[in-house]
Parts: sequence; structure tokens; C-alpha cells
Amino acid sequence: MRALATVLALFALGLSANAQITVSGIVKDAKTGEPILGASILEKGTNNGIITNFDGAFTMTVTPKGTLIVRYLGYLPQEIPVSGKTTLVIQLEENVVALGEVVAIGYGTVKKNDATGSITAIKPDKLNRGLATNAQDLITGKIAGVVVTSSDGTPGGGATIRIRGGSSLNASNDPLIVIDGLAMDNQGIKGVANLLSAVNPNDIESFTVLKDASATAIYGSRASNGVIIIITKKGEKNSKPRISYDGTFSVSTIRKEIKVLTGDEFRKVVNNLFPGVANPVTDAEKSVNKSDSTTRSKLGKANTNWQDQVYQTALSQDHNLNIMGGYKNIPYRVSFGYTNQQGIIKTSNFERFLGSVSLSPSFFDDHLKMNLNAKGMHAKNRYADGGVVGNALSMDPTQQVTSSDPLYARYGGYWQWLTGNNRINTNATNNPVATLNQKSDISNSNDFIGSADIDYKFHFLPEMRAHLNLGMESSYGIQNLYLDTVAASDAPFGRKGWDKISKYNKSLNFYLQYTKELGKHNFDIMGGYEWQHFYRDGSNEYQGLVKTDTNLDGVINSTDDYYNHIYPDKTRFATENYLVSFFGRLNYSYGGKYLTTFTLRNDGSSRFNSANRWGLFPAAALAWKINEEEFLKEKDIFSDLKLRLGYGITGQQDFPLLGDYPYIPVYTTSIQGAFYQFDSTYVTTSRPDAYNAKLKWEQTTTWNAGLDIGILNNRITASLDYYYRVTNDLINVVSVPSGTNFRSKVISNVGSLNNKGVEFSLTAKPVATKDFSWDVSYNLTYNKNMITKLTTGSQEGYIVETGGTFQGQVQAHAVGHPANSFYVYEQKYDANGKPIEIGAPKDPKNTAAGNYKDIDAFVDMNHDSIINQKDKYFYHNQNADFTMGLSSKIIYKNFDFSFTLRASIGNYMYNQVEASYLDVGKKGIWNPLGFFSNKPAYSFNTNFQGTSTSTFLSDYFVQDASFLRCDNISIGYSFKNLFKVISGGRIYVTVQNPFVFTKYKGVDPEIYGGIDSNKYPRPMISILGLSLTF
Amino acid sequence: MKKYIKNISYIMSLVCIVIFAPSCVNDLNVTPINPKVTQTFNQDEVFAKAYAGFAITGQEGPAGNIDIDTEITDEGKSALYRCLWNCNELTTDEAICAWGDAEVIELNTNTWSSRNPTSGSIYDRFYFVISISNHFLEKTAGMTDAATVKQRAEIRFLRALSYYYLLDLFGNVPFTEVVSLIPPKQIKRAALFTYIEKELSECEADMYEPRTAPYYRVDKVANWLLRSRLYLNAEVYTAVPATPASANFPAVSASPGTPRWNDAAIYAKKVIDSPYKLNPSYKQLFMADNAGSIDGSSINTAPQEIIFPIAADGVKTKSWGASLFLIGSTHINITGVTPNWGTKENWGGNRARATLVKKFFPNAPAGLFTSNKSDLTTVGGALKDSRALFNGSSDFSLNITTISEFKQGYSIIKFTNVRADGKPSHDPQFTDMDIPFMRAAEAYLTYAEAVVRGGATVNGYDALTAFNEVRKRANPATVKTSIDLPTILDEKAKEFFFEGQRRTDLIRFGKYGGATGYTWDWKGGTVAGSNFKAEFNLFPLPAGDLNANPNLDQNPGY
Repeated sequence: MRALATVLALFALGLSANAQITVSGIVKDAKTGEPILGASILEKGTNNGIITNFDGAFTMTVTPKGTLIVRYLGYLPQEIPVSGKTTLVIQLEENVVALGEVVAIGYGTVKKNDATGSITAIKPDKLNRGLATNAQDLITGKIAGVVVTSSDGTPGGGATIRIRGGSSLNASNDPLIVIDGLAMDNQGIKGVANLLSAVNPNDIESFTVLKDASATAIYGSRASNGVIIIITKKGEKNSKPRISYDGTFSVSTIRKEIKVLTGDEFRKVVNNLFPGVANPVTDAEKSVNKSDSTTRSKLGKANTNWQDQVYQTALSQDHNLNIMGGYKNIPYRVSFGYTNQQGIIKTSNFERFLGSVSLSPSFFDDHLKMNLNAKGMHAKNRYADGGVVGNALSMDPTQQVTSSDPLYARYGGYWQWLTGNNRINTNATNNPVATLNQKSDISNSNDFIGSADIDYKFHFLPEMRAHLNLGMESSYGIQNLYLDTVAASDAPFGRKGWDKISKYNKSLNFYLQYTKELGKHNFDIMGGYEWQHFYRDGSNEYQGLVKTDTNLDGVINSTDDYYNHIYPDKTRFATENYLVSFFGRLNYSYGGKYLTTFTLRNDGSSRFNSANRWGLFPAAALAWKINEEEFLKEKDIFSDLKLRLGYGITGQQDFPLLGDYPYIPVYTTSIQGAFYQFDSTYVTTSRPDAYNAKLKWEQTTTWNAGLDIGILNNRITASLDYYYRVTNDLINVVSVPSGTNFRSKVISNVGSLNNKGVEFSLTAKPVATKDFSWDVSYNLTYNKNMITKLTTGSQEGYIVETGGTFQGQVQAHAVGHPANSFYVYEQKYDANGKPIEIGAPKDPKNTAAGNYKDIDAFVDMNHDSIINQKDKYFYHNQNADFTMGLSSKIIYKNFDFSFTLRASIGNYMYNQVEASYLDVGKKGIWNPLGFFSNKPAYSFNTNFQGTSTSTFLSDYFVQDASFLRCDNISIGYSFKNLFKVISGGRIYVTVQNPFVFTKYKGVDPEIYGGIDSNKYPRPMISILGLSLTF
Repeated sequence: MKKYIKNISYIMSLVCIVIFAPSCVNDLNVTPINPKVTQTFNQDEVFAKAYAGFAITGQEGPAGNIDIDTEITDEGKSALYRCLWNCNELTTDEAICAWGDAEVIELNTNTWSSRNPTSGSIYDRFYFVISISNHFLEKTAGMTDAATVKQRAEIRFLRALSYYYLLDLFGNVPFTEVVSLIPPKQIKRAALFTYIEKELSECEADMYEPRTAPYYRVDKVANWLLRSRLYLNAEVYTAVPATPASANFPAVSASPGTPRWNDAAIYAKKVIDSPYKLNPSYKQLFMADNAGSIDGSSINTAPQEIIFPIAADGVKTKSWGASLFLIGSTHINITGVTPNWGTKENWGGNRARATLVKKFFPNAPAGLFTSNKSDLTTVGGALKDSRALFNGSSDFSLNITTISEFKQGYSIIKFTNVRADGKPSHDPQFTDMDIPFMRAAEAYLTYAEAVVRGGATVNGYDALTAFNEVRKRANPATVKTSIDLPTILDEKAKEFFFEGQRRTDLIRFGKYGGATGYTWDWKGGTVAGSNFKAEFNLFPLPAGDLNANPNLDQNPGY
């Protein structure tokens, strides 16, 4: 039979070798019947290809016996034999599993269905492209167990990503980020706060988040806090160039100002507090009268809203152009991006140019595949002085912004608080408008990321692959500062200077992979090697704008130097570290039902002494695809039902604040300012630094159990995971016995903590018809962090205070409490429910009643009748118990509507803004150092008089910051075939950050670190966007 | 076939990479490439760091690359002198601070705990000097060249001085002469006294002869002055309180201390007889050019009195916690007044308790304290005292009802960054004034006290003469014809107020912790003054070290 077919085929070939027929057809979505435009059709084995037009139709000339390969992004590719037909209707099945069947894992890929670890892969929603300036915006609130907190509203600002809570105390809690095979160094780029700035969100094909140790252990020493793998988009073979454009224009506005007193209200308060004495008789009365009238005379006549003076409505634009296609067998993709973001604080601005090129040629019948990526960024960032946020609150509202009084000419004509000799009062609030306009702080940054991926499938042994990845990142950033001599902060000398950091990160990894199927047994064995080198150096130079008599010869001339000149050779630093690793993985499955994965990594780090340098990180996982069992298979209820169990050990060796050489004894030499004097000579000093020759890896052990469910052909999918992670040998800066080292605290492997949590995620397509579809996804995370050991000693009550505020530390680590718990005094309240203040009168109308003592205001925890630091207690922490995300997308005909909501429950915040403006007593309003301070309106309700600074450390300021935030709401309209050249497009309107529901009193309940300190406010952004395909 | 050869060449290159991989493992053997650090011991520079440990807080100055770990977030607040000063002044009848820092409030009101970051930082600062000294002595062991011998003697002196302050503040502390991973044993106060005495006696011979050392380095006179101070307090330091048995120590019963009045007088007299003399001008001791000719000043002659200066320079040696702290914290910029203390810093914190001012004017005529005098040294007649450097203008009130109100309490104008010769100082912000950490005047009052308490006179030099030497400089018209102990204690307040010595004096006179019958405004946290417990004569060992080192017992009462 077979032989006959062959003979027939040969015969046919002989007859019609060169005969061509014209085929026309249409490509449709199998489910909705919608025509698909832009699908590529390629005659197999040739370069003959075409793309469907607006109606999904195509016409091409093919050999009658040929086969057509039809591809479209997001759909399963199909091969259609022509078989002599001249009309074809091709129905493409949507690829229900995001990312196609395959998800990226470390050093390889795995079929989504066969994954054994806790892995979430998401593909940025193409309807939302253009909304994100930074890559992590695309995953915010989308993945269970992943909490992304943007640092503030600074344009181009950074973000903190935490996966399943922090597993470290002093070491880094950042996840490892791998971009196209290159593991990034997490150090960021000078002048660009955001680690992922160099990646254009529009270029991102997929994010894969590896959460449990069985998935991450292949990354060994840097995997304790999870791994995020980013893969960028590539072109397709033999496809015509496709050009698309995405652009947005947006308007940012401040979402919430803090209500402070107006000029009129402030004048009233001052007149009430400093009324003078009606008919002064005694000297004391006269003195009070004089001093009160002096104070009142400092009031101005204006009504200035300083917040309005500082904030602006900001305009931004973002444009992206990309071309993708395939020149013969070389798929390519080229993209350009331009971002110009104004900040809502005047003068702040972020401008960025991005370019990327990706080539993915393959040779020898796809035996040799290459993937070459290059990404470049140039960014220019003008920073606004962050101090203006607070100064806009406290600046005297009765004064004008500028003054024509010649007194102020020395300060650029801006009104400022002056001292008696008409010089700037350095203790007073500076005019925030002057601060903005007189300071230029601009960074210029360049970054290049390049990677080459070479994959070779052996000709003589096709089950064997060799894979080589070479990658590097190189960046340079310089920040230039210029402060005029009239600037209040640096008058009369002014200041200028620069600070630069350059770095590179090189990596090489190579692995061999062998895949074999033996009946029901499937083996996939991989082994490899990795080498990485991280290098960083930097320096800075600062000086006054004018010379002073630095050589003390009585005259200022060319032999003198500029005021406070710090030279770059004195500030230069350089540091490097290496990582060398060997790793392997075995995947074994039986009958497609029982899956196991074992991984092992041996990591060497130059950050440890040779004796402790190598760490071994094993992991194992089991998965059972229950839906493949006979008893379920027939019922066809579950399209996916998989139980996963995982265990693994990961490490941590990244402690950015502690340097790369913590185990090497070194001496640090001093620079000018820290010289010492013998006779007339200023000598350099040399300090032996503390070190720990025994330092080793921090280890996190993770247990994970998960269940994946898919029903109705995966129209509804859900995952549930439980995890328990224990970190031992915490890399921790702990007290060591005095005299045993050169510092009292030394980086050591001391302490343990754990994280327990549950993650749940659900995605559903409640409606999926031709004209109407609805996608909804929801995720919920519960995490609890607990310190179980903190010292080598056995003393009870050992506490490491953290969380510095302007009035002392309000957080602490202690055994039995979550890391960075608030550690404060417990406030007592009076009969009216108002917090009691130490030293305040018990009855303002009756001075005989006396004042409140410390034990009246705070709970005396240790019952010794003294309130001191031993009476602080642990009260909540910054991390939420529960976080949730909800996204919904509805498409009706050409319209689409989507939104994303995010909630956080049980997170607390120390409201340092409220604490710093609490004093509405006489001294709080008129500072004895000679200036008025405005206050938020709510401070007058609390009515603290500033009689005790211990008030700052009260739990009154630790406030529930649970919130529900809408990240964005979007409405779009899609269109087709416009002006002949445009084959399709979409226009949309989005509002980002339109509302936040919270009980929290401050401007924004979402601040990483749990201390609210006059952050650059996050704006509400209204966006008009346009996407076009040509 | 050609194709296969090509493929094989690919494979070969990949295999090569695998073979070369092990050589990359050697990359893990790094040495620091940071130009700011070195792995080589530089003798002169480490030597200088031991001195610098008293003056500055890190390797960048005024802040940055800090030397110690501290619970205080602000590097300047953890400075050695600043913390020492806070412990020895804010807790006494001399000084009170307006600031809200919890550690400062606890010191103001005598309510500190073992987590007070100021007492914790001073502990860490002294152990930092001790560790550097131990390291220096280890690295230079056996070297006999003249320069090294001198350096080693001075380092031993600085280590003994550090242990002296630990003895004075904390009593029973961990003791080590090496830097090693073995947790040091706790030494009891009396034994530490013996050790310091032995060290000072041993290092003396190799120290510079009086006034032959380079300025800012110490000579034999510093050694003698420290010994006279040690002996003067010997009775306090060698007293043993009753303590129950602990894991580390057996029980001991109480025994009184052994006074050493004779030795105190002998060493004080050696200082008096040395080339160091009282500088005729008291004010010059605390001015920007108080290094005299080294500061290019032909006017200021303070170096003849200053035995151990802690250096400061507005450009080269900067700290937030040395003389800038003394000057900045005691001044405030009042609208209408031109700053005249030589730095733009004015932090409005430390000022005089009323008790201190009244020491100068015990029987002040009516109206003196409302006379609006911006410089109380101008008060004339029998009350005249050139040391009464207070601002008593109407901006300030004598009495303090609110601690946080700087203008309650007279402002101190003793310390300035102004030069005696009128030239500008080096920097408008950071100060040039050196702290006269040890000065000759102390020897006169030590001698007087030791003799009055029963010590033998040396060469017939009597206590009254010594006492009046100091008195004469303040106002020649007020020399005394007889003295007693209370007079001497009050004189010490007048001569040394705000110089970081008061707590030790009050304890020696039995007027600090416990039921003393002596109070001052805000003592123990009440306006009128109240007693606090006697255990507070020692500060608690910091919680951090107590936890890290199992050999330590906490001082009683904490």
C-alpha cells in the first residue's frame, strides 16, 4: 500500500513538476468565524509566501501537491495540503494556553502542561500595549504571589518586586531577572531608577515567573527570591515585513493633595496663638506683648497654595514603531521607542530612546538555530528636588512666591525666610518654587544589552542539543548637578558637579540536552556550565561655583580652589564579582501522566572565601496529570487537572550594601575631610575594616504543593499553591562580641526566618461568541513572614531596630515577629478618644490640673513606672496579609473595555507625614528659629502641642493602609483598512490610577518600606492611544 | 560532507568552551579592585586612625563610610566626643538638650535603658579604638626603631585611655588585648583599674618628653594627667558592690574602694611642674585658632595649656560630632542677631541648667538674671568671672519649664569658631576649633582636691595655692583664703562646664545617682529635681554586646 502510494506520488511529480495553480482562500478564527488579517501563509519547503488581507483573504500560486503552512500569533499553526484545490477555508484554533504550548524555564523550555514547578507565564495583553512605560507595569497585580510596588510617581521611576515575601533580611530580596538568557545584576543604571528601563514593554513576548524552588533551583544561588524570565519578540521566517505603530499621548494630574491651611486660615491661627496682652502692665506682660506682636508682624498678606505652585498638569507621549518579518530564513524584528514623560512636579522630566534588533536565523534544516538580540537605550532624566513635596506643605501660605523687595534679589527674587542679617535662614523651610527653578539635576544614561543564543541539534544524534548563550550588559550613566549661587540650599557658594557609574555584566552559559522517548518513558536530561562577571566603577566631583581663600593667604586668586572641591580621584570606587556554576536537570515522565523533575546546581561565588565558596542546590518535583488517567479521560470534564509537589534549596549571595569582598581583610584609606593632623601636616588615615572569613551562602528551603485545574476546554483554569519557605544562615549584619572584630556588627550567617503562603489564581472566559467575548482573571495571595532566630546568643528580647524616620527608628526585627514590624509605644487616649500627649495640660482651662506625664500617654509595658525604649511593642507590619488582583476584558464587535483592580489587605504604614506636622502648638506654628510652618488641616483635629517628641514613636501614626486600587480602565475601538495603507488599528482611551479606596490618611497607601515620607505622588494619568498595523 | 565538517567545527568550538570552563573557576579568586582599599598594613596611617577615632566618625568626613555600627541613624550623632559629652553632661547639673531624639531625652531625665543608642555608640567607639590599637600593636610587635617605639607607647596610652572611659562609664566590660574571634572575658572594674595603672606606668618611658611631641600627639604629661584622674577616682573605681553568683562569676560580698589621694597629688603635681601652663586667656582655649602657631595665629597662646587636643579643621578634618557639635548645638540664630560664633550651624540644643549658672552667681543681686546681658563675663565686681560665658539676654530665661524650649536656659558662648587674631576660619560651616580634651588646669584642681581629701602635699605645695592659680585667671580679685570640698566641686563646674567631665566629679562627690541630698533642675525628670537610682552611676552594657558575648553579666539595676 505504502509502496503504491510512493509510486503514485512519483508519477504525479513527474507529470506536474512545474505546473502551478492559483489558490485563493480565507483564514478564519475557528471559534468566532472572524476573518484573520495578517496571517502568514507559506508554501512548505519554499520561500513562496503571502499575508492575508483585511478580509482574511489571500490568493497565491502554488504547486497543486504542495502544503501550506498557516501561522498567526496566538493561534496554533496549521499545515494544509493543497491537494489540487483552488479555494480553501482555513480555520485556525486559538492557542488557549498563553505562550503557545511552551513556557520558558531556566536553560530551556517546557510544555506548559508538563511543568512540574510553580510557574506562571503571562503574555502581555496586546490591547494594553502602550500603557506601560516600564516592563514590570505589565505584571503588576496580574500574578499571584508577585507584588510590584512602584517607588513613587517620579517619571521613569523604579519599582520593588517581591515574590512570595522576602526571604532575606540584609541580603537582597529582589528576584533574579533573566532577559533573553542574560541574568541581570539587579544593580540598576545610574540615572535610571528602573532596572527594566532598557527593555521596551512593546518588545516583550512573554514573562515567566518561577516561584517555587523546584523551578528556580536551576538558578541556584540567586534564586531564593524567585526568577522572572523575559523573552522578547522575534520575527517569523519567510514573512513579509509588517510594520506597526503604537503611540500614546497622556495627561497626568495629581490625584490628591493634602489639605493645608490657606493664608487666611493661617493668619487666624497665628492671631489666636499670639494675641499679645491687652493692657500690659508688668515687665513680663510687656515682654509677651512685644514678642507676640513681632511674631504677628512676620505674617504676609498673600494666599498662596504652595502645592498648586509645585505641581503641574503633565503631558507625556510615547511612540513605538516596529518592523518584523523574515528575509528568507532570517526572521527579524526591529523596533524603536521614544518616551517623553513630564512629571507632575514642575521641572521633572524623563526622556528615553529605545532601539532593539532581533535576528533569529536557522541553518541546516533547523539543526542550527541562532537568536541574536541587541537592545539599546539612551535616557535623559531631569529630577525635581524631592524636598519640595514636604516644603509645599509647610511653606508659609501668607507669603508670595516672588518678591520685588531688593532683599530677595540675592536669592533670585524668590521670597525666602531670612535671618536678622538678611541672609537665608538655613533652618527654615525653603521656598519650594525657588528650589525647583534654581536646581538643575540631570542624568544621561546609556545601556546596551546584547545576547547571542546558539542552539545546535546534532545531525548524527537529533535527540541531542547543544546550547550556547553569550550575553552582556554594559551601561554608563552620569548625573550632572548645578545649583546657582542664589539657591537657598547652597548660597552663597552654589554647587555643581557630577556623579557617574559605569558597569558591565558578561555571561556565558552552555548546556547539552538529550531527549529520548522509550515507549511510555520520556527522558530529558540537561547539563551545563555558566560563567558570569559583574563589574562596576564610579566617581564623582563636586565644587562650589566660586573660589574661596583655600590656601589661607588672605587673598582669593588663581592659587585658590573652589569652595568645598571634592576631586574624582578621591571618590573613585570599583568593584567586581564572579559566579561560576555547573548545573543539570533530569525530566522523566511516564505515560504522560507522572512527571518528575530533578535539578542540581553547584554555584561558586567570588563573594566567599575559597573554603565556603561552593554551594550545592538540589531540587525535586513530582506532578500527576490526573486528567490523563483513564477514569477521568473519558468523562472529558477536565481539560487539565494536575497535582504538583516540589521541594528545593536555593541560595542567596547578593548583598548590595555590603560590598563584594566581605571576607577579605582590607584597610580603607580616608579622603579629604577625614584626614587627621599632626603638627601642620594633614595625614591620610587607614582603617582596618571588619570582615568575616567564614561567610557563606544563605539557604532557603521551599516546599510547595499545587493543583492546576482546567475545565471546559480550558475556558476556566485555576491554580492553587501552598508554600512554606525557610531561610537559614541568613546573611545578616549582627552584633559580634566587642573586641573580636573592627566593628560591633559584622555580616554573618546568623538567623532564620520563614514565609508561609497560599496563592490562588483563576482565569475564565465566561462569554466567547463571534461578537462578544469576556475574559476575566483573578488572583489572591496570602503570605506570612516570621523571624525565628536572629542571633547566636540566647538573650531574650534581642531586637534590631530598623526603619529610620526623622525622629528615631519605628521598625524592628525580632524573633516571633515578621521582619520590619513596627516597634512603637502604645498610645493612650483621653475620654474624648483623643491621643494623650506627654507634657500637654490635662485641662487647658485649668492649669492647676497639671500636665500629662509619660505614663499617662503611653502604656508602661514593663511596669517599671518609667517610659523608655524598653516600653516599645510590636504592632503590625508593612506587608499585606492578602493581596488580590482582578482583570476584566470585554470585547463587543469593534469595541473593547477592560480594567484592572488590585487590593491589599492588612498592610500598615507609619504616617511620617502626619507625624512630622503634628505640632500645632505655638512652637509648631512659629518656630523659634524664626519661621512659620503651615500644617495639614487634620493636625488641628488631633491638636498635638509638640510638648513631647516621644509622640512621634506612638502607634497612633501606624495606620491601616489596606487599599483597593484601580490600576487602569480602558475603552478601545478597533478598525480595519483605513486609507489603503493601514490594514488595521485601534484607538483607545485609558485612565490609569483613577481611584483608590482606603482608610489611610496620607496621600497614597502604597509605599514600599511602610514609612510614608512625602513621596513624589503617583499621578492619575489619562491616556489617548493609537495602534496601527500597516 | 563539507556541510558535516562545518558542523563538526561548531561542535568542536563548543567542546572547547566546556574544556576551558574549569580555568574560569579560578576567576573566583578575586582581590579587591577598589582604589580606596588596600590589603597592605600602612603603619603610619593606621597609627593616625587611632587618634582620628577620637575626632571623626568615618573615612569620608564629615559623614560617610562610618567606622562603627550604631543604632543612631545619623552618623554625626554617634561621634566619640559627642556621645561621651552627652553621657557626662546631659545627665548632670550642667547641661540639658532641647532635641527630641529619644536617647537625648533619656539622658536629660536620667531614664536611660540598655538600648540607649548614645551610651551604646560611645561603647562601640572606644572598642573601635581598642581594636585598632590591638591590631597596631600586633602588627608592629618586636619592632625597635625609635619612631615605632614612640608610636607603640602612644597607642598603648590611647588604648588605656579608652579603657579608662569604659571603666568610668560602664565599670565591668569585656577585656581583650588582641583582635581574635574568641569572645573576650568580662573584667571587673577594680581589675581593670589595675590594668590601666600598669599600662600607663609601662608606656610612660617610651612616650615623648613634655612638649616635644608633634602637636596633636600626646606626651608624658598626658600620661601623668590621666593617672592623676585615675587615682583621684580610685576609691570609686575599686569599690566592689555585693553581687550574687552568675554563670560567669561567683558571688562576691561588698568591699569599699581604696583611695589613692597621695598618688593623685603626685601625678597632678608632675603636670603642674611640666612646661604646660595655664593660658592667661580662658576664652582662647575654645577658639578656632586654639592650635596657636600651627593655626597661623600669633595671638592665640592656648597650646601652652592644651595637653591633648582633638583636632578639627573646616576643610581637612570634618565631623558633626566634635567641636562643631559643641559650637553648633549651643547656639541659635535669633532673628535680629548676626551669627558671631563662626559657623552657620546653629542647632539650638544644649544650654545651661539654672543650677550651673547659679554656681557662678550664688548670691546674685536682684535683677541680675533679668538684666539682659548677652555676655555674663561682663558682670562686674566681686561676681566677675571670665569663665561665665553665658548669653543671659532677654531672649533667654534662666529657668527651664519646658526641656524642648531652647530659649529656656542660658545659652553657652564658650565655644566659637572665631579666631583670636580676627582672621577668617577655614570654612563657614565646619569648624577649626580643636577640643581641649585634656588641659593643664585640671591638674591644679585635682591636686587641690587630693590634698584636701587627705593626700600628702608634694614639695610643700599647698592645696589653696593650686586652687587659686585657677581662680586667679578667672578674676584675680576673688582668690580664696580657704577651701573645702564643696568649693572645689563648684569650682570644677565653673572651670570645666560643658567639657565632658561633670558626671565623674558628681559621682566621686556622691551627688549623682542614689539618695544624695543634691538635686538640680530636671534631675530625674522633674522640674524641681528628684533622685534617680544609684545603679545609674554606671551605664548599662549595650543590649547588642550583652547578647553577642555570653561572657558578660549586665550591670546591676538594668
